[in-house]
Amino acid sequence: MNAIEVNHLKRVYRAAIGVFKRSIKEVVAVDDISFSVEKGELFGLLGPNGAGKTTTVKMLATLLIPTAGNISIMGFDVVKQANEVRKRIGFIFGGERGLYWRLSAEDNLRYFASLYGADPEVSKKRIPYLLEMVGLKGRGNERVEGYSRGMKQRLHVARTLLHDPEVLFLDEPTIGLDPVGAREFRQVILDLQTEKKTILLTTHYMFEADALCDRIAVIDKGCTVALDTPGGLKKHVSDLSIVEMETFGAPEEVLNGIRALPFVDAVSVEDQDQRQLLKVQTERGAEAVPDLMAALDGQRVGRVIVREPTLEDAYVRLVGGKV
Amino acid sequence: MNVLTKNLRLFWQGTMLSYIALFAWLRPVTYAASKIVMPLAQMLFFVFLGTYATNSNNVDFYVIGNAVQITAVSGIFGVTMSVGGDRWAGTLPYLFGTPANRVMLFFGRAFMHVIDGTIGVVIAFIWGVTLLGLDLSHTNLPALGLTILVTTLSTCALGLLMGCLSLITSNVMFVNNTVYFLLLIFSGANVAIDKLPAWMQALSQILPLTRGIAASRALVAGQGLAEIGPMLLTELGIGFVYGTLGYFMFHWFEVVAKRRGSLETV
Ligand SMILES: Nc1ncnc2c1ncn2[C@@H]1O[C@H](COP(=O)(O)OP(=O)(O)OP(=O)(O)O)[C@@H](O)[C@H]1O
Ligand SMILES: [Mg+2]
Repeated sequence: MNAIEVNHLKRVYRAAIGVFKRSIKEVVAVDDISFSVEKGELFGLLGPNGAGKTTTVKMLATLLIPTAGNISIMGFDVVKQANEVRKRIGFIFGGERGLYWRLSAEDNLRYFASLYGADPEVSKKRIPYLLEMVGLKGRGNERVEGYSRGMKQRLHVARTLLHDPEVLFLDEPTIGLDPVGAREFRQVILDLQTEKKTILLTTHYMFEADALCDRIAVIDKGCTVALDTPGGLKKHVSDLSIVEMETFGAPEEVLNGIRALPFVDAVSVEDQDQRQLLKVQTERGAEAVPDLMAALDGQRVGRVIVREPTLEDAYVRLVGGKV
Repeated sequence: MNVLTKNLRLFWQGTMLSYIALFAWLRPVTYAASKIVMPLAQMLFFVFLGTYATNSNNVDFYVIGNAVQITAVSGIFGVTMSVGGDRWAGTLPYLFGTPANRVMLFFGRAFMHVIDGTIGVVIAFIWGVTLLGLDLSHTNLPALGLTILVTTLSTCALGLLMGCLSLITSNVMFVNNTVYFLLLIFSGANVAIDKLPAWMQALSQILPLTRGIAASRALVAGQGLAEIGPMLLTELGIGFVYGTLGYFMFHWFEVVAKRRGSLETV
């Protein structure tokens, strides 16, 4: 039996727009997504903003009813057997909300433990253990309102582990953390995997997905566009090289000119203050550089590098140049 | 530890922590003010206004009416905050993601306010006796205590229903203030109910507090539990109806939020 089984999942939101002339707009957040996750596997869900990741996680976590399709977790249906599922899952939506700020961390945990019906005697030992595990040892009696964002996110991890769930859903758990904090957080996730937990993770950080995930599903506009190991996904771009070019305020027409070149597969642009970093995917590798320079048409160009593709480049190719 | 004590401890922990977590007045000074000063202020205001306006000497009428009505501070404002507070705390997804028994969860939100409201009324009665000459020497005090408790229960039940409203709309503080002040009149705390127009009297009959206040006045006047028993039972029944309506609304909120995807929209 797989830990997670998702079959032709679909979710449509109906949103009312306009104040006076109200009309209903339908948004297909998840169109057709299927995947399964084995027990103990760390599974990544990647996709651009609005791809439907959070919507999928909400349905997995019994918080949203699918419009069509079905999900089973540890053999239980998320709609018909929601409470059986809830006993076995933990989940986090990235960010700092969702805790009682007026309570201490310990009291937050005590309260959630009571909601899970945990034996108070057991909680007495488990709460300090979890606080230590997420690096909040010694801060447990402070009110959450004085916690930093990272501390709140760690507390969420402790919260979701109170009932020792078998399956975890982590929606962008490292969002907004500083690099060191994010690295420590990833270590916590890896520790959880060694405890044989099944984990589904969404993230926008490709290196994070590459470092953590056994398998990855890339979704776009509510559909699965690829499902493979990180290595397997990279094979999608193994015929390509990446030319990285630093430019300074190149206008959109020039960038479109590059996108239109016959030997260019995909272009992503990262804006960094005054600079832009163009990542051009091409089969021609270094040979493409002179033509690319010509296409840049006298724009100031800084550093130029030709390199092997990474998971991020595979991702960019799959979702068509959006990051 | 046997199952019963374990469940009781769980319930106690849950209600106590949710009370602290969600009841935003619980800073010691404001809390003390709301418990000690406010009942006195309300009572003095209506006693002097009432006796001046009606040119009569029925101080007890206003003292008892307002002392009991004070329970609405906990019952309406407190309970609403405790039920609706999860919305602004952003905890609703995490709350509804647990297998917690929803009946316990919902009614647990009101539990501490029942205790709190009862204490508030007792303090108000103490003010009445010490400062406004209320005479309880002919009163069956245990019966008065029971009346206060029952009235607080039924008022908190209305609060639970209001709390569900606050999960759905953000204008609930306005609605709450309105309900509180309407209760000041409709419950008979400050105006004899038989002096109200017929439609207002009809509304009085389906609100909590009305019978609780009437029963308290009767007890202070020397009547016994046997005479006021029917009123207390009806008061309790009214509370039961509001509590049940509240629970169904809470349940409905969860079902609809999961269907619409509106669990964390503020
Ligand atoms: N409650 C809602 N009501 C209406 N539309 C919604 C709602 N929640 C999400 N959507 C829409 O559904 C689509 C998918 O949103 P979702 O939050 O699942 O994306 P996501 O992949 O998590 O994106 P991100 O990476 O930005 O977090 C978006 O178009 C979004 O606007
Ligand atoms: Mg999201």
